[in-house]
Amino acid sequence: MANPGGEVDSNRDFTCGGSCHGDPSLSATSDAVIEVRTANTAYAGTMTEVEVSISGMALSKNRLLGVFLLGSINGNSDTPSDYDWSIIQDPNGGSSNYVLISVPESGEITINWILLAPSEVGPQSIYVSIHHGSDSNPDNRAFLGTTEGYPIQIDPIPDDYPTIADNWVALEERIAGDDSPLQFSTVNTDVLSVEWRLAGEIESHTAEVVGAENEWQVQIPASFGDTRIEYRITASQGEFNNQMPWLSMDTVPPYFDGNLFGARLQSISSALIIIGFVLTMHMILSPRQKKDELDQILEVETSEEVSEPIPIEEIPDIEPEVENDDTEEYNSRLIHSEDNPGWLWDPVESEWVADPNNPPGGDS
Amino acid sequence: MFAITFHHLIVGIASGTGILMGICALLAWLGNFVSNLDDFQQSFDKTSLLSSILCFICMPLAIFSGTFATSDPGGSAILYNKFVFSGLAIGFTASFIAGRVRFGEKIWNDFKLSTLQMICASGAMFWIIITGSIGGKISIGESVMDIMPFWPDFTSTIVLPWWISMVMLVFGIASIFVALKLGPTVNKISD
Repeated sequence: MANPGGEVDSNRDFTCGGSCHGDPSLSATSDAVIEVRTANTAYAGTMTEVEVSISGMALSKNRLLGVFLLGSINGNSDTPSDYDWSIIQDPNGGSSNYVLISVPESGEITINWILLAPSEVGPQSIYVSIHHGSDSNPDNRAFLGTTEGYPIQIDPIPDDYPTIADNWVALEERIAGDDSPLQFSTVNTDVLSVEWRLAGEIESHTAEVVGAENEWQVQIPASFGDTRIEYRITASQGEFNNQMPWLSMDTVPPYFDGNLFGARLQSISSALIIIGFVLTMHMILSPRQKKDELDQILEVETSEEVSEPIPIEEIPDIEPEVENDDTEEYNSRLIHSEDNPGWLWDPVESEWVADPNNPPGGDS
Repeated sequence: MFAITFHHLIVGIASGTGILMGICALLAWLGNFVSNLDDFQQSFDKTSLLSSILCFICMPLAIFSGTFATSDPGGSAILYNKFVFSGLAIGFTASFIAGRVRFGEKIWNDFKLSTLQMICASGAMFWIIITGSIGGKISIGESVMDIMPFWPDFTSTIVLPWWISMVMLVFGIASIFVALKLGPTVNKISD
């Protein structure tokens, strides 16, 4: 049984679908309507577009649809590259002949491949094959559909035909915020002009192009988020213009440059910084520090150790002298009063004080 | 297979005990202001201590099991963030335990130190919730943080150059050494 979750975009032969679903008991014919639109002719080695519209199919719940672009339906070695085609861009922005598409609720989808035509002149054919599931599918069958071949005549390229160089590879994606110029290589081109637009927009803008001698730098503004930019190249030689199909590129987030070692190191260092900070805060906020500030015992003890003890006999003159002076000064300012015997008036404190020599109520 | 199962188991224990630690520490701190909680402060203290120790043991196990449970650990911004946020949670948890062990159960009687303890526990709880929510977002596509009106962008991160991380590491070790060995002796708080 095939993978119900679909197979990722890749270069796959038609047998990839056939081998998984070839047994009639495992497959059934799809009821999808497949339309392929492409030019009937293309110049050898030039860009051409194949547009595919698919509708009317019953899908499984995940609405996945696998689409092959083929050079034949031989069964193997039947990818476009086996017939000298080069895929410039697939519908998902890559360069695969098989893409996995999520079909919208409308049930109809239009996708396109941009191809570089074979360098050899002659008839070619393009085929499209699809496979999908179904919501009501008790036997787990795959539903297959294949178109008839769409002929494309490859004509010789005119002399001096301006086009994109064989070795040029379309950019699938650009990093968000990156506004570095895109590089383009051409052949036989005097002037290159590029239009760009956001996917879904109708109006296009002209990009600034710098360069010469088939090497060009094109300035398309930086994109952000889930944005898809479409651009169209026109290569000119004299008065002849070769306008090529619209190409597109996705916007992707910047590449992540972290690794396990860095993550562990950053994690451990963050933890240690926090622990170190909190332990330092413990040191600052610890109540012991405040206790030290208030506790004067150590200071007193230190001062006692430093100062020499003074013999008690040598001190007495100092303090009593000061005290006597104070007493004499105090007594000298007291005023006797005849009206209040036993009391003295203190003019400084404005109060009556008892006369120590003649206390109130005394005999004298 | 076993690593994934073990990771789920150990993450459950780590996040549960981490949140218990945060809530109990918050209630013990509130006991300084709410008289009804004062009677239970000792119980909240013991519960927060035990849950923080269990959380501290489980978190490194959760990190190691998570490393083995994913194919490219540290290879994407969202997984890188889980490592960094786990480190922050471990740092806060270890700081909470250190404070409680150094100052004893009466630490809640000192307003400044109890506030520091509460901040440590809340910080640990916050980063555990964030880390767990990222894990839920990765594994089942949803998390409890979905009920928030905003969801921070964890699909991008700041990747520090290794030498800055090394400087931080040395600075952290030096500050721990200074605080423990060269600083003044810290005594348990008494009544």
